[in-house]
Order: sequence, then structure tokens, then C-alpha cells
Amino acid sequence: MIGTVVRKEIISNLVSYKFFIVILLTSILIFTSFFIMHRDYKQRLSDYHIIKPKPNEPIAVIPPNPLSMFANGLEDAMTRSFEVSRIGIEARAGQASGNIIFSFFPSPDFLYIVRVVLSLVALLFGFDQISREKEQGTLRLMIANSIPRAKILAGKWIGNFLSLSIPFLLVTLLGFALLNFDPDIYFSPGNLMRFVIILAVTLVYIALFLSLGIFISTITKKAAASIVILLFIWALFVFVIPNLGTLLARQMVDVPSVRALSEKKEQIWTREVLMRIMEGREGKETGVSRFQAIHNEIDKLEEDYRNKFNRLIGLSKNINRISPVASFIYAVTEIAGTGIGEEGHFKTDIIRYKNSAFLDIVSGKTEYSPFNYQYRSLSQILAKGTLFDIAWLVFFNIFFFALSYFSFVKYDVR
Amino acid sequence: MLKTIIQKELLSNIFSFRFLVTFVLLLVIVTITVFILTDNYVKRLDEYSQRQREIENYLGDYAHFNRINNVVRPSQRPVPFYSLIRGLSSDSNIEEFDNDPLPVIFPLIDFTFIVTILLSLIALLFSYDSISGEKEDGTLKLMLSNRFSRSKIILGKIIGGTLTLLIPFLLSIIIGLLVILLNPRVLWRGADWGAFFLILLGSILYFTFFYCLGVFISSRHHSSSSSIMTSLFVWVLFILIIPNLSPYIASFFAQTPSRIKIDREVAMITDVERDNLGRKLSGEKRLEMHRKYPVLAEKLSDAEIERRVAQDPDYRKAYKELRDAIGKAWDEANRIQGDKAGVLEKELRRKQEAQERLAIWISMISPLSDFTYLATDLSSTGIRSRSHFSRIAEGWWRAFGAYTRKKLASLQEKNPTVDWWNTPVEVSDMPRFQYQQEALKDRFGGTIRFFVVLIIFNLIFFTAAYFSFIKYDVR
Repeated sequence: MIGTVVRKEIISNLVSYKFFIVILLTSILIFTSFFIMHRDYKQRLSDYHIIKPKPNEPIAVIPPNPLSMFANGLEDAMTRSFEVSRIGIEARAGQASGNIIFSFFPSPDFLYIVRVVLSLVALLFGFDQISREKEQGTLRLMIANSIPRAKILAGKWIGNFLSLSIPFLLVTLLGFALLNFDPDIYFSPGNLMRFVIILAVTLVYIALFLSLGIFISTITKKAAASIVILLFIWALFVFVIPNLGTLLARQMVDVPSVRALSEKKEQIWTREVLMRIMEGREGKETGVSRFQAIHNEIDKLEEDYRNKFNRLIGLSKNINRISPVASFIYAVTEIAGTGIGEEGHFKTDIIRYKNSAFLDIVSGKTEYSPFNYQYRSLSQILAKGTLFDIAWLVFFNIFFFALSYFSFVKYDVR
Repeated sequence: MLKTIIQKELLSNIFSFRFLVTFVLLLVIVTITVFILTDNYVKRLDEYSQRQREIENYLGDYAHFNRINNVVRPSQRPVPFYSLIRGLSSDSNIEEFDNDPLPVIFPLIDFTFIVTILLSLIALLFSYDSISGEKEDGTLKLMLSNRFSRSKIILGKIIGGTLTLLIPFLLSIIIGLLVILLNPRVLWRGADWGAFFLILLGSILYFTFFYCLGVFISSRHHSSSSSIMTSLFVWVLFILIIPNLSPYIASFFAQTPSRIKIDREVAMITDVERDNLGRKLSGEKRLEMHRKYPVLAEKLSDAEIERRVAQDPDYRKAYKELRDAIGKAWDEANRIQGDKAGVLEKELRRKQEAQERLAIWISMISPLSDFTYLATDLSSTGIRSRSHFSRIAEGWWRAFGAYTRKKLASLQEKNPTVDWWNTPVEVSDMPRFQYQQEALKDRFGGTIRFFVVLIIFNLIFFTAAYFSFIKYDVR
């Protein structure tokens, strides 16, 4: 029974104008995105070979992450070069371009395409499922058969999900296969695994918007009304809530700006350098202990800042999770290794490296161990909130589907 | 005649469901955004003065010329427009270890966002069925059976539609302005108001463009369900894709050498190579001086030299000349290597600017970028104000450098034995950095091209809508 509904949905989709436009759009976007991000990645890879630290340089630089082609996230911040010296950690602009226009618009990676465009597409597949059939009068005919309403709804959901996700998966996998033709691009088995998980999460995300579309369609009598509501919900979920949430969290947690922190540090340094020179004139012995003291002071300052900042991040993460789109972003960027959690972990590692290299530097040693960064493992990532984000997406899915079931059962088909 | 149609459009829109939703949504979002941003602005203002105070305190106690440059770096006072438009304003912090990852993941929301994303979407939602919807309802036929000319109908539809959209937009803006103006800490001057009205004009042009586009698409379709598909397709391209692709496309055509590579080369030139050249040049000078004053060629210990400088006036003269010559040789080495590095950096800057210009031109295909540049430039939060800021900062650094030299010379005069570079000095008379926004006239001059492009877009799609409606098959 369900099979018939599914088949009917798929066939009616295949011949529709909507399907044509949507597939055209998705294919163009995904191929362009892969092409551009691939070129960008290669550029960064060649830059990495230039700035790669020579042995015995206390510099921490990691190679670009191949998964950043799909979810750029904080890759630019992570692939900067961090030089450890007496002054502490100096971050230099890494492999990112200096073109200012990049900072106006978000980068068009796979995550962006899915997050913004594919969610819209999924809504377009769902928005008129019930209301249009009612307007055309076919809903009545369908109900007149001996098929229960639940099955009609399930069949519609499955049919539309398949006709949306199969072309999408085909296009994405084709693009991914093309990327692998480039000998410079290497995906380790671990990264392949991560890519597959990202695809799976993406499907959950698309399904969520489809369910939302069908739900709104079951509570409206006209397709025109349901598209209006849906587009507004979409704008709220995708743009307004996550961006406003970040701003709101910033109002609630008082975090000094980065600029204020760096000015403070600079003041401590110049003060201490001056004091050291003056003491030197008076004949006092200054040495490692002085540096140690400066570092303790600055470390304390930074630690205080970081604690506050982590609170801010935690809070804004939770506020943003009101919108499932934020959860989707968190999940995908963390799995790709370019997320906020990964960046925090990376920075902690650099600080640890600095602390270990620092004593060597001030005592005049010239041999430093190289910096090695190990990305967090999948299980660590999942445990640190990503599993929750995925579960949250699934929950929204079930929630919207359940809602549409309840309102469809009571739907007035006349 | 025209009035009847405009009136009809206005009324039918105002009582529609989408109008209600738009109204509520805009009102809520604009108010919340402006409220939070104003609060944010006040906080930034406080932090700014706190930072300046700390610098002043510091200068009172520990000012010394050796490292003062690191402490007095100029920073920009937040402009009052932050409570509406954030632009590129947030201090770029890629050079700091503790940078802020949140805005990278979630670009913060502001007035530009509300106009570019929400308003354009709303304009399309109101216009996608203006022709095809009436055809489906059968009212288009009825309308045309009257003595209305088609051009009047289309004109009336577009005017009526944009007027209805203006109502919720302007009302929410007025409420937003109230929130801003009721805050005693936010002071808008004449130029700010001028910029505000220009931005408002820009946003009206922006959404009339989308309205015309929607009407045009609607008059190319015979069912409203297909016209909404096409509208959204075009919207996605204009809003979400073209702007984001533009810098990447520009980087294809106008390539720049890698920044890191140039940085490394410059570091090499001004460090290792400079030292080598300096040693070579000063060695030559030393030999020359040794020939001139054979006494200098003797190998003496530092203490011995000091003794002879104190006792023997001839030796002192020769020694001083040697010192000066070596100093000149090093200056020369610095100059040569500095010039070399300067050429490289200038070349990089030139190419980078060319790439940026190209990216701007490409992105101008999308009205979103036109409006974004227009709004950020006019509100002094965009690309223009960045270069304006660095121009002022450069001027200030020059003034500060002159001050440093003068101060050092006068101190040296008083007491030549002290190392004045590394001694606390009193600098309360130093020039203070003053940030002035660029004059409104100049800002406007820079954004004229964006206005022109928006107007051209408007005209194109208005004409297109007009002609396709004239030939529209109403049956």
C-alpha cells in the first residue's frame, strides 16, 4: 500500500518543474562549491609547504585539513602559524588570503550549501504536500480508498525524501569521486569515515526540513499560506536565531574584547622590560626567574580571559540550539575537525607546547621538540556534544513528523 | 484610474495573511536586533574608554621610548552607527592567539542582514503571484475587460505593492530608531542622519528591485506555484551564491602571490641579508677610516679605548668619525634592504588591491553586495573606512615619530649620558590619536556607483516586467 503512494510521489516529482529547478540548482551549487573549495585547499596546501617549520624551530603549524573543503568552519584560524618565543605565542596570519571581500560573505562550502539552500529545497518539496492535493481535489480521492491516513503521510514522506535525497547523494558522491582524481588530495580511511557520517547527518537535516514542510502543509488550507509561513520559519531557523543568539549571549557574559587583552599583555611586557633594564643598571641579577614571573602574570590574565570566553561559547551554543540549524553546524564542523570544540582543543595543545618549549627558550637551549597535533577521535567528538546535536536533529525530525501525523489525522479534506 | 489599481493592491495586500506575518516578524526582529546592538555599542564604548584610560595610566608610570610604540597603537572609537550596522567593524583579530571564533561560524545579525536577506525574501513573497496568481483566480481577465490599459495595471501593481511593503518596513525602522534615540549614550549628528537617509534610500531601491524582479518572473509564468520556484531559484543565486563566489572567482583572474611567501622573503631581506650587507659596508668603512687615522687600527681593549677617548682629543675626534661612518653604513644597509622589501610589499599590496577591486566588480552583479557595500561604506564600517582609518593612523604615526625624535633630542641635550630610550619619561604632551569619520560627502561619492547599479537593475527589471505583461496571455 505504502509502496503505491511512494511510487506515485516519486513519479509526480520526477515530471514536475520544481524537481527540474531543484536538481539543476543543487548540481550547479555542489559542483561549483567542490571545485572552488578544492582549488582553495590546494592553494593552502602549497602555502603550508612554505611555512612548514624547519626542525628545531619552535613553531606550531598544522597542514590544512582535507575535510575543510566540505566544512570550512574555523580552518582559517587553526591553520595560522603559531610561533613560540620569549614573548609567548605569536599568531601570524596563516594560509588565509588577505582579500577583504572574503570577510563580507561566508565561504560557499558544502556545509553552507546544505545548510541554506538544501534546507530551502527540502521545504519546497514539503510545503504543498497536503494543501495542494486538497486544492486539486485529489486528496479526497485518495482518502476514499481503503488506505489509512498514517500510511498516506508516511508514503508521502518517504517518496519525497527519496526523490530529494537520491539525486543529492548522487551528485555529492560524483563530486567527491572527482576530487579523488587529484593526486594531491588524500582522504585517510578515518576521514572517509567522517565524510560518510557528515553525509548521514546531512540527510537527517534535510529530512527535518521535509518533515517541517509537511507539518506546516497539514495545518494550512492553502499552499500559498504554507509557503509564507515556511519561508519565515526557515529564515528564523537558518539566519535569525543562530546569529541573534550569539549576540545575545555576548550581552549576558561579560567578556573583554581580544583587543583589550592584547593591549594589557603589551603593557605588562613593556613595563617588565623597562624594569629589567633599570634593575640591570642598578646591578641586580635578572634572568630566567623574571621571565617566569612575567609569564605567570600573563598566563593568569589569559586564563581568566579564556575561562570567561569558554562560558560565552557554552552559553551561545546552548541558546543557538533552539534552532536545529545550529546543531547541524556544530555537528558537521566538529566531525570535520574544524569546529569550535576542535579549535579549543587545538589551542590547549598549543598552550601546552608553549609551556614545554618556553623554559628551553629562556634558558638558551636551541633544540625544541616539534609540535604534533592529533585531531580528536570520533568517539571523543561524539562524547563532547556532537552526539547530542545529532540526537537533537533526530528529535526535531520525529517531533515535526509526529505533529504532522496528528494534524493530518484530523485534517478536513473537503 | 491608476489610483484605483494602487488602492486595490494596497487593500488586498494589507488584509492578506502574509502581510500580517511580515509585519509581526519585521517588527520583532528589528526591535530585538536594534536593542541588542545598541546595548552592545554602549558596552564597546565603555570598554574603549576603559582601554584608553589604562593606556594613559600606563604612560604616566612607565612610558619609555624603546617600546612605547607597542602600547600606544591607535584604535578606533566605536562609531554610533554600530547600533544599526556592524559591517567589518569588529576588530580583525586574526593576528591574535585568542581570536574569537563565534562570528566566523555565525555572522552577526544587523540592519544590513535584515534588509538584504529578509526584505528581499519578503518582496518576492509579495510579488511572485501578482500576475500569475490573478490569472489563476480569474481576476486578471475581469480587470482587463475594463477600459484599463495594461501599462497602467502593471504600473499600479508595482507601485501599490512596493507601497504596502514600505509600511511594515518603515514602521519597524521607526521603532528601531526610537530604541536607539531613547538611549542617552547614543548621539547621532547631522552626518549620521544624512548617512542614515541615504542607506534608507538604498534599501528602498533594493527592495523595489526585488519587487520588480518578482513581478517580471510572475508575468513569465502561468501558474503561481512555478513562479515561486523560479523566484526562489533566482533569489538563491543573487543572495546566497554570487556574493560568496565572487572573491574566489576574482582570485582566479587576478592572482596574488602568497602572503606568507612574501612575509618570509621580507623577513629574510630585512634580517639576515641586512645584517650581512651591514657588516660588509661597515667593514669597508672601517678599513677606510683605518687608512685615514692609523691610530684607530691598533687593537685596544674597551677600557683602553675609553681612556684614550677621555684623554686624547685627536683620538676622540677620529673615534667619533669612525662611529658616525659605521652608523651611516648601517643606515645605508637598512635603507637598501628596506627599499627591496618595500618593492615586494608594494607589489603584493598592488596585486591584492587589484584582486579586491575585481571581486567587488564581480559581486556587484548581485544587488545584495551592492547594498552591503553601500550600507557599510556610508556608515563608516566598511572597506572605505578601513583604509580611511589606516590613513589617519599613518598620519598620526608620523606625528608621533616626529614627537619622539624631538623629545629625545631635547632630553639628550639636557643630559647626554643617560640612555633615554630605556628610561621612564614624561609624555603627557604627546600627540593623541583622534579618529574622525570620513566626511559624508566623500563617503557618498564612493558609493555612487552602487546606487547607480541598483537604479539600473531597477530599470531593467521594471522594463522587462512591463514588456512581458503587455504580451501576457491572460486566458
